[in-house]
Amino acid sequence: MNAVLIARNTFREAARDRLLIAALGAGAALLSATQMLAPLALGEGLRLTVDLGLSGITFIGLALVLLVGTSMVGKEIDKRTIYNLLSRPVSRRSYLVGKWAGLAAALWIVALAMGAALVLLLLTRGQAGHIPSVIQAVYLAGLELSVVTAVAVLFSAVSTPALSALYTIGLFLVGQWSYDLREFAARFPSGIRTMCEMLAALAPNLPVFNIRTLAADGTVAPALHLVIATVYAAAYCAGALALATAALETRDFK
Amino acid sequence: MIPVPTDPPPHDVTSDAPRDLAVHTRGLSKHYRHPWTLRVTTGLADLDLDIRRGEVFGYLGPNGAGKTTTIKLLLGLLRPSGGAGWLFGEPIGTEASRRRVGFLPEQPYFYDSLTGPEYLEYAGRLSGLDGREARKRAAHWLGRVGLGARRRLPLRKYSKGMLQRVGLAASLIHDPELLILDEPMSGLDPFGRRDVRELILEQKQRGVTVMLSSHILPDVEMLCDRVGVVLGGTLRRTATVNELVASQQQRVEVRCVGAPLVTIPARWHGTIDRFELPEGTTFVLSDENDVNDVLAWLIGAGATLRAVTPQRASLEDFFLSVAESQGVDGRDRRSA
Repeated sequence: MNAVLIARNTFREAARDRLLIAALGAGAALLSATQMLAPLALGEGLRLTVDLGLSGITFIGLALVLLVGTSMVGKEIDKRTIYNLLSRPVSRRSYLVGKWAGLAAALWIVALAMGAALVLLLLTRGQAGHIPSVIQAVYLAGLELSVVTAVAVLFSAVSTPALSALYTIGLFLVGQWSYDLREFAARFPSGIRTMCEMLAALAPNLPVFNIRTLAADGTVAPALHLVIATVYAAAYCAGALALATAALETRDFK
Repeated sequence: MIPVPTDPPPHDVTSDAPRDLAVHTRGLSKHYRHPWTLRVTTGLADLDLDIRRGEVFGYLGPNGAGKTTTIKLLLGLLRPSGGAGWLFGEPIGTEASRRRVGFLPEQPYFYDSLTGPEYLEYAGRLSGLDGREARKRAAHWLGRVGLGARRRLPLRKYSKGMLQRVGLAASLIHDPELLILDEPMSGLDPFGRRDVRELILEQKQRGVTVMLSSHILPDVEMLCDRVGVVLGGTLRRTATVNELVASQQQRVEVRCVGAPLVTIPARWHGTIDRFELPEGTTFVLSDENDVNDVLAWLIGAGATLRAVTPQRASLEDFFLSVAESQGVDGRDRRSA
């Protein structure tokens, strides 16, 4: 129950923050830009619109995670607002889960708003056939952002905001190229290979959430893929938040 | 070097913690180890403290003495390095121990974008109130601390004193049985201090236990049933305000005229202070047993007595004498 209250407050704070408005504005600007670039795309205007529109959701969401999520716990400790919460009958686990859920909800709103704008654009251009695949891609982008938020909360619980942003972006990049990292590792001696493989295994498998190319073609992904991605995201978030809780449980608030 | 357990021992939850005490600690300690130099500093050493239900307990000490460390340990914001503590019989650090506690931190900070009623409702709900009750009490307490007219103002526009009032309202919104106030008067103007004093006395009448950390001694003297003096991370003494003050040597002030030329005899050097004022001479005797001899000497020297006034020792006198006797200069250890 406390986690829900904290999530609601975190969402309310994010919604009142100018950053969320700025993110939505950036999304609208990006979609407008795709319309100006579409005539130059040699018949690939639709693909460009869908691909850039969906990529925009991930990268604007990532920017929000870096700006808000990575300093989420550190800022509360610095500003001492955390005293007001943890001096009440609130567990540190509820606190972290609430903070994650609140920010993830705000990111889902951004993803859904940008996805809705993209769908509206496709409808006005008479490309309704792409809509189911775009909806799937938006759903997976929302899951991806939830996973990255969990990673940011984990680092935020153990590190300073600056380092936490650095670690989060690092793990995001490793996660994006985890398949390449595994292939790359095979070329090295066993020590380095094991290290690269471990890194690839620990980083979130973000390509699971990327069906932008399929969506740009208007191809619908199998339902099983969505189920696997959902279960994977839930498991990864739970693991990251459990680690974050374990780290926060040992932390002193001086 | 003080041994610092790498992993704090778990509290002995099986021991019979007295439930008639609001606060009960045995050997509660906090040591800090510097991550680079590994130098150990003591925040709090072997605290044995009992606060009875319904009393107002003043926790005194200069900055950096260990007051806030104690409070944070009681609330689970710091993990103890040793010892154990209980709030109403519940081991500290557990959610159950914080259920009946209201806390006002020193210089409270809140979520800037929320309004006063929103924050108070949030605080109430986190302490277990349902939505309707929390809204009702938020409106009541905002009015009670004098901010009822600022309902729509976001907290980022509040002054320091207004934030202190909101913090006090948040600490009271769920009708706690133990109120822990860390320097509640700091940042308040005289009206604000009067209001806080009234609120504390009101809570005392309701039977609420209050632990008041402060270094503003007149406020403590006015409000508290008992006080504890903490210096250098160690609790030096606990007693009622009257006991502490009565244990101090009483001073006597003698005012007279016609004594500007008399010289204080050598046997009283160091025990009598002399002040020349336009309306006459004032002698302050640090030992009341000397009063008859001093009066006889003054009359014999031709002085005319105007008044002989016993001076009641204040809590401040006691505090300073404890600090001096312990060789503690009262400077902030954190800045050392």
